Amino acid sequence: MSPETTSAVIFDRVSKSFGPKQVLHDVSFEVPAGEILCILGRSGTGKSVTLKLLISLLKPDHGHISVNGTEITSLKEAGLTKVRCKMGFLFQDAALFDSLTLYENLALPLHRLTDKTHEEIDSVVDDVLRQVGLAADKQKMPANLSGGMRKRAGLARALVLEPQVLLADEPSSGLDRITAAEIDELHLKQKSERGTTVIVVTHDVHGARRVGDLFAVFDEGDLVAFGTASGGAE
Amino acid sequence: MIPTVQALAFFVEIGPLVAGLLVAGRVGSGIGAILANMRATEQIDGIESLSIDAFKFLAVPRVVACVIALPLLTVLMDFSGLLDGFLSEFFSSRISFQLYITRAFAHFDWSNFIPPTIKTAVFGFIIGTVSAFFGYTTDEGAAGVGNSNQ
Repeated sequence: MSPETTSAVIFDRVSKSFGPKQVLHDVSFEVPAGEILCILGRSGTGKSVTLKLLISLLKPDHGHISVNGTEITSLKEAGLTKVRCKMGFLFQDAALFDSLTLYENLALPLHRLTDKTHEEIDSVVDDVLRQVGLAADKQKMPANLSGGMRKRAGLARALVLEPQVLLADEPSSGLDRITAAEIDELHLKQKSERGTTVIVVTHDVHGARRVGDLFAVFDEGDLVAFGTASGGAE
Repeated sequence: MIPTVQALAFFVEIGPLVAGLLVAGRVGSGIGAILANMRATEQIDGIESLSIDAFKFLAVPRVVACVIALPLLTVLMDFSGLLDGFLSEFFSSRISFQLYITRAFAHFDWSNFIPPTIKTAVFGFIIGTVSAFFGYTTDEGAAGVGNSNQ
């Protein structure tokens, strides 16, 4: 990594256990700003936990985590709010709030975390829905959306805050190849147009090769490989 | 005597008890199921990732709703029971409505109505809190949703 490159995400010797089960053991890696990291590994190896640690839904037992230069491990809620304002999280099943319409799902983060006016929120939501191809569906309830539409809606909610760091937990799981490729294209577009750092947990090796700049492979809580595809991470 | 006993029984014990049981069974299980489902589908994680206190956002309004709704439902139960009692008496003895009500409240005091009705607010608090707790803290997954309903 060149001296000029700044790291958007730094994991420094992070460990996490749930009871007797150690999920992450002494994991360290850095992701330069504007790059896409694909995290691969078998189920139960700590991939999703890594994403949840990055957005502070979980706290590590040991180690430090930095996001965009801010050490988040010991931050209180007020400080975490400032960091989360610049992050987006696409959950595995989109995690849309099923009592709200698609529009309300996307507007909620803007109402809660920004000072935007109602008109500005309308404009942002319309723009993001257009990007993901759901402009005509903004008054629909999540239950009325197909699986692919829900994933795109979840991605749209992650993008409304114009994140500097986008976390995606198995964005293509349960989707056909065409829709999965569309989701991958949206990730690449975020990187190329906005310089967003994207961290994707995936089982889709082909998709990972298509979008990834860096690859991390987890096995039983250990980071067993990290680097570029040509550098030997494969 | 029957209208008097009926009114006292409904207002002091039966109305609050039945209202509490109905709400515990129908509403309490519903609250638990909704919150458990939100936990299982990561909606609560989604809310927390937006720096919203998910417990305040989801559980507190439901507890407040139970506290407010139970006394109102209890009053409805009480008067429903009284009306049913009148209908039963009317078909057996042709008693007039005015006479029935006069006899029902002849020995009735506000202390027979206000404390039992207010105690249902406590029932509502317990029902809302317990069901929200079990729903909110459920293990993830379908089995967790089912377990939180029990």
